[in-house]
Amino acid sequence: MIPPQTSLKRRLALWLIAIVAGLGTLLLIEAYTSARKAADRAMDGQLEAASLTIAESLQWPEGNPTVEMPASALQILATRWQERVFYWLQADNGRIITQNADLPITDAMQAEARLQPVYLDAVYDGQPIRLSGREVDSAGWDTQEPVQLWVGHTRHGRDLLAQELFRKSATRFAAMVLITAALVAIAMRTMLAPLRRLRQTLRDRSADDISPLRLGVPKEMLELVETLNRLFADQRHHRDALLRFIADASHQLKTPLAGLQSTSELALTSREPAIWRQALETVHDSAGRTSRLAGQMLSLTRLQHLGPGHERQPLALDRLMREVATDWADRQDSRDHDLGLVIDMPTPVWVEGERWALHELLNNLIDNACRYTPPGSEITLTLEGDDERVTLSIEDDGPGVDAESLGRLTQPFERGRRQDTRGSGLGLAIAESIAVRHGGQLSVTNRQPRGLQVSLTLTRCRPPEENRT
Amino acid sequence: MKRRLQVMLGFSLWLILVGTGTARAGERLIIEAALDRQIVDPVLDAFAAENPQIDLDYRDRSTLEVDQRARDRDSPPDVVISSAMPWQLALSNEGMAQPLDAPEVDQWPAWAKWRNEVFGFTFEPVVMAYRLELASHMPPPETHRDLLDLLTHYRYWLDGRVVSYSPRESGVGYTLSQQDARYTPRAWDLIAAMGAANINLETTTQRMLAGLSEGRYWLGYNLLGSYAMLWAQTHPDIIVQVPNDYSLVLMRMAFVHRDAPHPAAARRFVRFLLSRRGQHILAGQTPLFSVRDDVIGPYTAQRLRDQVGDHLYPIPINATLLAFVDPLRRDAFLRRWDREIQILSE
Repeated sequence: MIPPQTSLKRRLALWLIAIVAGLGTLLLIEAYTSARKAADRAMDGQLEAASLTIAESLQWPEGNPTVEMPASALQILATRWQERVFYWLQADNGRIITQNADLPITDAMQAEARLQPVYLDAVYDGQPIRLSGREVDSAGWDTQEPVQLWVGHTRHGRDLLAQELFRKSATRFAAMVLITAALVAIAMRTMLAPLRRLRQTLRDRSADDISPLRLGVPKEMLELVETLNRLFADQRHHRDALLRFIADASHQLKTPLAGLQSTSELALTSREPAIWRQALETVHDSAGRTSRLAGQMLSLTRLQHLGPGHERQPLALDRLMREVATDWADRQDSRDHDLGLVIDMPTPVWVEGERWALHELLNNLIDNACRYTPPGSEITLTLEGDDERVTLSIEDDGPGVDAESLGRLTQPFERGRRQDTRGSGLGLAIAESIAVRHGGQLSVTNRQPRGLQVSLTLTRCRPPEENRT
Repeated sequence: MKRRLQVMLGFSLWLILVGTGTARAGERLIIEAALDRQIVDPVLDAFAAENPQIDLDYRDRSTLEVDQRARDRDSPPDVVISSAMPWQLALSNEGMAQPLDAPEVDQWPAWAKWRNEVFGFTFEPVVMAYRLELASHMPPPETHRDLLDLLTHYRYWLDGRVVSYSPRESGVGYTLSQQDARYTPRAWDLIAAMGAANINLETTTQRMLAGLSEGRYWLGYNLLGSYAMLWAQTHPDIIVQVPNDYSLVLMRMAFVHRDAPHPAAARRFVRFLLSRRGQHILAGQTPLFSVRDDVIGPYTAQRLRDQVGDHLYPIPINATLLAFVDPLRRDAFLRRWDREIQILSE
């Protein structure tokens, strides 16, 4: 069992939490500041009313400003939250007209208030307070100096109001988050339903059921289902090929074994030692061929079931070809043929490959050529190519193969309708397997006017360090 | 002989005070009060009985003195009690009081407290008082209008025999005058008439009552009903009249000082004043009148309302009082008062 790396649900939940946390922080900050602003807006009206009431009772007897502090102004200033109230009135010459607190009013604040009524936060007596300032001017018989009029109160009511507003926003937000979470949970269940259905379908299938899946799935999952179906199709194909191979193999083994049986039975009925000897020779010969057939079958199976070639290393293809050709030239099997080697490019030619496999490939190709051509035929090994690719081919001037069976030649036990040879029919199949292992493709073509060409194209590689020049 | 006894008593008392003071450091309680000790004694005694570990230091002073002591940064008192309501509120507004958090505070009526810091814990009507012999020369006054009529028509008899608070030297007197003038501009006519009758100005109700009993004065205006009623019980020749048109009601206000050296004891004392038990003693054993509805006794606000009717006007405990202590406004008011008091005598 593969341990699950991530849970879709958990990832969705984490995303949701991240979004909610980020967005929520921003929203709550915004809600807090706007709650404070709203509270200030509402309460600044009280400051204004008080300030105007005091301004209204300002008098300038003999040009000097004075005021009879109106009780109602202070009551307005105190609000229903019973704030501490402050006022501070200053004549233009800097004389304090009256004050009940030494408010921290700077020259800059006064300059600002000269232009228009201002509202600002300040700290007095260790407490945050809200101040409002305005300059009061009035027409009169004498010159009337303007008066700076500042009122203020503590922020208790504002804080309470802002808290209430903020609590409301926060509650709304929390409700929204809960509803969203619920909806997302439901949506997640709905969306993951096809996945669950697919899992159920796969679980319910029997082990050897490799028919394509028939399942209604959303667009996003169609590809997954198609991939699965392709995998099933591949498996089916492989299994068919395997079954065919086993059937063919048993058939191929059965024929020589039946020959052995009949030969030995015939010999046993005779009393002639000469016949025995002849039968034994036949048996020996046939056993040798059968054994070779079995060996080739083993080698093909091994190639097809071996994992990808890990033992690849750079090797000089021209050198290998020369070795194999020289080896064959000395053999009994090729003495009736004219074996040639043409290397039509600068050497050495480095390719990445498994030495044993390429050796086997060359052996099989040469063996095939010798076996399926009449004596005296010309067999030529060629190596040609450019900087990137190199093509290895083997040509003969034998009878060739009819076009129909050309494509099937690389299948096991296929002999191109030739029954006259002792070949196993596995040589090209093995060669094909090796070619595939090396990322190449074996191409089999008829030559004009006669003969057969088998070629394999491989990618060149950089020479190993010790061979660089 | 008598003096020696006093000295000895005083010495032993001092010993006790010092003894308890050293034995229980930090359990003192300094109360600066504009409230006669003899009147409030039953309450203090009950508190002392409940809290024997607390050593009460009760200092009875005038309202303006109390205000000064409360502003003393070097040796602040624990509890400040005063009938000068604007000054008490101003102290709270200046941050000199600390808020109290207690069930008694939550139950206390909203009209009798400010910022949960200052509490009006008595309900004292402001009254007129006259000598019995006044009634043989003229119809005794029942309303402010009656008083103005008497001053106008019987000036011969009343000349130099009328007494009231000095608005300049007494915080209570100033508050009452301001409040009178606030309710009706005819208050100025009354002041002018009193000026014409060569009014005498005193700083305490006690001195006005003493003057009445001695026969120096015949008629007193704006006396604290609490003191006057108690006085009248032992002085049958003094009649106390709650005005029938409107009667101001003064409330003693108490708060715990922000810098109280003994805050725990201070809080306990103020809570006691507001508690059912404290108010019960107030209603039963002092003439200070309890504010609480759930207290029964001869002196309760409820009972006073039942007797006098609905023309009791408590001086409101709110920010409007702060205007009264504004120096400009105070000066302007006193200037006008001075002008009015002389307007008819010239």
